Amino acid sequence: MISFILNGLDVQTEDGSTILEACKFYGIEIPTLCYNEGLRPYGGCRLCLVEIGSGENSRLVSSCTYPVEEGLNVRTNTKRVVDARKMMIELLVSICPQSKTVQDLASKYHVTRVRFPVRNDNCVLCGLCVRMCKEQMQSGAIGFSERGYKKKIVTPFNIRSEQCRLCGGCIYICPACQMRCQGPDAETDLCSGCLSLEPTCIETHDDYQCWMGTTGDCGTCEGRPDQRTKPDNR
Amino acid sequence: MKEFRTHLLVCAGTGCVAAGSYDIKKALEKEIVKRKLHNEVRVVATGCNGFCERGPIVVVQPDGIFYQKLKPKDIPILVEEHLLKGRPVKNLMYVPPAEEKPIPKMMDIGFFSHQRLIVLKNRGRIDPENIDEYIAFEGYQALEKALTEMNPEDIINEVKDAGLRGRGGAGFPTGLKWELCSKTPGDVKYVVCNADEGDPGAFMDRSILEADPHAVLEGMIIGARAIGATNGYIYVRTEYPLALQRIRIAIEQAESYGLLGQDILGTGFDFSIEVKRGAGAFVSGEETSLLAAIEGKIGIPKQRPPYPVQKGLWRKPTSINNVETWANVSHIILRGAKWYSEIGTEGSKGTKIFSLVGKINNTGLVEVPMGITMKDIIYEIGGGIPNNKQIKAVQTGGPSGGCIPRNMLDLAIDYESLRKAGSMMGSGGMIVMDEDTCMVDVAKYFMNFLRDESCGKCLSCREGTQRIWEILDRITKGRGTSADITLLEELAQATKDASMCGLGQTAANPVLSTLNYFMDEYEAHIKYKKCPAVVCKSMISSPCQHTCPIATEAPQYIAYIAHGEFEKAYDIILKDNPLLNVCARVCHHPCETKCRAGQGGKPIAIRELKRAAIEHSNGRTRPKVRKASGEKVAIIGSGPSGLTAAHALAHMGYAPTIFEALPIAGGMLAVGIPEYRLPKKALKEDINRVLNAGVELKLEHKLGRDFMLEDLFKQDYRAVYIAVGAHKSIKLGIPNEEANGVIPAMRFLTDVSVGKQVKIGNRVGVIGGGNSAVDAARVANRLPNVHKVTIIYRRTRNEMPAYAEEIESALEEGIEIKFLTAPSEIVVKDGSIAGVKCTKMNLGTVDKSGRRRPIPIKNSEIVIEIDTLISAISEQPDLSFFEKENDFEITGWNTFVVDKESLSTNVAGVFAGGDAIRGPSSVIEAMADGKRVAEAMDKYLKNKHITFEYRVTRPSVYVEPVKLTVEETLESTRQEPRKTKPAARSKTFTEVDLGFSKSAAIKEAKRCLRCDLEIKEEDEKEQS
Repeated sequence: MISFILNGLDVQTEDGSTILEACKFYGIEIPTLCYNEGLRPYGGCRLCLVEIGSGENSRLVSSCTYPVEEGLNVRTNTKRVVDARKMMIELLVSICPQSKTVQDLASKYHVTRVRFPVRNDNCVLCGLCVRMCKEQMQSGAIGFSERGYKKKIVTPFNIRSEQCRLCGGCIYICPACQMRCQGPDAETDLCSGCLSLEPTCIETHDDYQCWMGTTGDCGTCEGRPDQRTKPDNR
Repeated sequence: MKEFRTHLLVCAGTGCVAAGSYDIKKALEKEIVKRKLHNEVRVVATGCNGFCERGPIVVVQPDGIFYQKLKPKDIPILVEEHLLKGRPVKNLMYVPPAEEKPIPKMMDIGFFSHQRLIVLKNRGRIDPENIDEYIAFEGYQALEKALTEMNPEDIINEVKDAGLRGRGGAGFPTGLKWELCSKTPGDVKYVVCNADEGDPGAFMDRSILEADPHAVLEGMIIGARAIGATNGYIYVRTEYPLALQRIRIAIEQAESYGLLGQDILGTGFDFSIEVKRGAGAFVSGEETSLLAAIEGKIGIPKQRPPYPVQKGLWRKPTSINNVETWANVSHIILRGAKWYSEIGTEGSKGTKIFSLVGKINNTGLVEVPMGITMKDIIYEIGGGIPNNKQIKAVQTGGPSGGCIPRNMLDLAIDYESLRKAGSMMGSGGMIVMDEDTCMVDVAKYFMNFLRDESCGKCLSCREGTQRIWEILDRITKGRGTSADITLLEELAQATKDASMCGLGQTAANPVLSTLNYFMDEYEAHIKYKKCPAVVCKSMISSPCQHTCPIATEAPQYIAYIAHGEFEKAYDIILKDNPLLNVCARVCHHPCETKCRAGQGGKPIAIRELKRAAIEHSNGRTRPKVRKASGEKVAIIGSGPSGLTAAHALAHMGYAPTIFEALPIAGGMLAVGIPEYRLPKKALKEDINRVLNAGVELKLEHKLGRDFMLEDLFKQDYRAVYIAVGAHKSIKLGIPNEEANGVIPAMRFLTDVSVGKQVKIGNRVGVIGGGNSAVDAARVANRLPNVHKVTIIYRRTRNEMPAYAEEIESALEEGIEIKFLTAPSEIVVKDGSIAGVKCTKMNLGTVDKSGRRRPIPIKNSEIVIEIDTLISAISEQPDLSFFEKENDFEITGWNTFVVDKESLSTNVAGVFAGGDAIRGPSSVIEAMADGKRVAEAMDKYLKNKHITFEYRVTRPSVYVEPVKLTVEETLESTRQEPRKTKPAARSKTFTEVDLGFSKSAAIKEAKRCLRCDLEIKEEDEKEQS
């Protein structure tokens, strides 16, 4: 067993386990996207960031890949972690706003704006499908090609792979393929949907709650037949 | 072994090979055989000499004579003169910039004499493809010592005590790394040499491998012994064919000498080295991805821990070090830790190799002790910045490093200081940037590199670099917003924090460091839509138009001239400029300094073409005479700024009145600029144009003497523009300045202009190096009783702020300039000046302005005998009228404090501009202020919020490019205007410059590259 400090508490975990596994054991929630218990950790989505060390030498690491070390000081909700994580989610939404998984993450972690031009890619390059294919389906029909902003997931030489058995494991695990409720051509990039319990009109109408009717202020329900006029100045 | 009297060391580094050094070598060998010298002289191809700028290079030993930039045709002369007759050939030697005398010996050249060679000691000295030569210079002695006299712990302790740190950039202590590796249990261990050098502009590792491959091998064998490794790998990027070839030859030779392989030197130690060729990915320089690449996998970084010393290559303990680190090892073992640790600073020991590139005179590879200042590297070794430009920043540490600004050049370089300054040591790239470098563009360039080279695994790095690049691209295209800065900062921080490997963690540095030090440039791009360095193409359209303070559409009028349509050209000029005669003669033409044609040759004569457009247009449109009407506004001063403001205000429907203190109008144009540069008739024409637009002029009305500001408001003037210029000469501040015969330059020039009698002696001295000094000297020289005029200036011609063409004309007219001379006292006889005592100066180290500071030479006083002394060191606005009304905020330079954008003073309704806010400055900037004030005043009087909208520079009309013949396309000589001969102009005030003939103007206009056309295509593409 290894002892380490988790959010100020002295805790113990099994030798060889990652920070993420230890956190899960202690019930501390850490968002993930490219992580799946059945697959090897990849560390690509950078959502499971935690801060380790202290003072000037502290840094952020992906908890899914970082092994717990004796005496390690781990903090899971510092400002640095929250800021970086929110930025990662904002980037994800800007790449792939049609994904329900991504939209849910945005809602849950209060990402309320997207400041980048939206691309509507169909992939976030989390590599889940690649690992699913190789590790669980024992196939390896798909993999990464190119690098940097050109990186993509393809079959070798862009032709149908003989390794592929059309099992659909890749689609099953893909977070980008799960569509958000409004479909891929939604008018807004960020749905701030059902997981967020904060009414969307709260800035304008302190006493009026959006889900009880439509007012047209936020624009999401504009043009609906049941749209009411603003109570005060319209 | 055969003895030779002379060795010719031909540099065969990649730089010189590219410049043709193999041809030189062949030519030398042929010539030597021809001259039957082959038994006395030997030609050797060596590794990189370092002074790559000057290739191909040949060094003649033992004399140490340095020949540079050789061509095969020089070789027969070189062989005959130097080798046969013993006379070194002067015109093939190195001449330092701004000097005339060649330096024959290599070690006397600043580039070499300030370096300290340890790692590179064999460069340019031995044949890297011959192990015997390496052995002859103490080669493999350290290995013998390490294997026979030391045990592994001794070796590690020696390296630890020496304080050697990783030269790949991160600076991890090498000895500690070896110790960790040796203590990790395991029977198989590896050492790896990282030669995947990929930073743009960095070539240290390549040069070491090319010049001294055995030094790397020796270091690796010693390291392997220390940690108990049996196998080593050298990972060389495949873009380095010469380095690959030489390291392979070196391994072969070492094996045949029993220095590699089984039972090395009979000590029972086995070790072998294999070369791996890199597959061309920048990220493979990161250690974990390099190890993956050696294993045959995709070069993608892995999570550390486990570190390579724990689980490295094939999950075995591995010590991976940079080429330069390995090359240091044998020197430490041979000479001891104590010797090594005496070089460098507290935390960073030894020397570091930098590749000095960019806007620097001496491009090349330099090895310097840690702790040397940046300034020493740039000025003493690098020889300063070419073409007398200002240095702006030094970029260190490769793409993920940062930019160190000019005011921090005193920084002593080591790992810590660079990191503190927001940059890093990196592998040792050092890119010098001058005033023509746009820092936003630099950041964009590096981000473009990094978004390409990121492995793409981490979202933060892949998307972060891409999005940062997108934002920067937007900013450089003039579409940035102020929110972009915050977004950049947040995103850059997140990229740095959230990424896994070194590449991602430092990828944001180019942005963070430029944001930190060059925020003003970002602001200029975002808010003012200006690129101060005139680089960002989609923002500037054409450099001339973008640089012009009043945005004159130079490419358009030049194009019309090329078509022969002088009238249209005239109209284009008149559109933005009411004082076209003035500007056509005396504008300091910032447009020409930035002209693209001037980058490879001479810039287009934009100013002369403006004059041609005026002089050769017939029946040109003249604006109708208007009568003043509308609200009254007052303008104090009839200089270029006041005239421009009045003209613009009249066109907006106001009734401006100009109040001028002197009996003549024109301000500095009339009294400061002598008639031989700007004839009174030409100026009169411009002033009349302004007056005809509906402007009233009141001469001999001096603010403070004849009226007060409050009087103006009482007389229903609704707003006031103070454009009084800077007419007061600053005092010299030396003894006896009050003596008879000492005249301030401005008083002298004014008196001559208005026709007053000026008392002046036969011998005139002028102190100063600016335009007013040169003007005063040239005017004095034209006065009938003056025989000799001497300008006294404390620096050299290179530093002189006066316009180069004016200095040239002054010299032509026989005016003497005493450089490096500073006045210390005025010698007085009977209350009048008899001479001026001066001290000779030397140029010392570079100060913050980037100019070398003059330092007095002891006991070098001289007395220059003169009868009249004109002091022209600088001017200030004459604000004596303020003695009663001092509500204004005034700077220490006696200029007005104004709002940067609206130019409004702290008093409501009062604006100030021109030299009154800038100090002595240029005509065109004063005019721009006048235009700006007119706009601001209009808004103020209409009770509108004073804000300005800025747009990227674009031409207002499209002018079809003129069809050129083949000869015209090749034409590169700049047309020179007709001039009055120096002899004919010596004692008269007739105009010197006589302008272009019609045909010369058309010929010159056809040289224009029409930069504006390029942007038209881009704009159209964007729209479609």
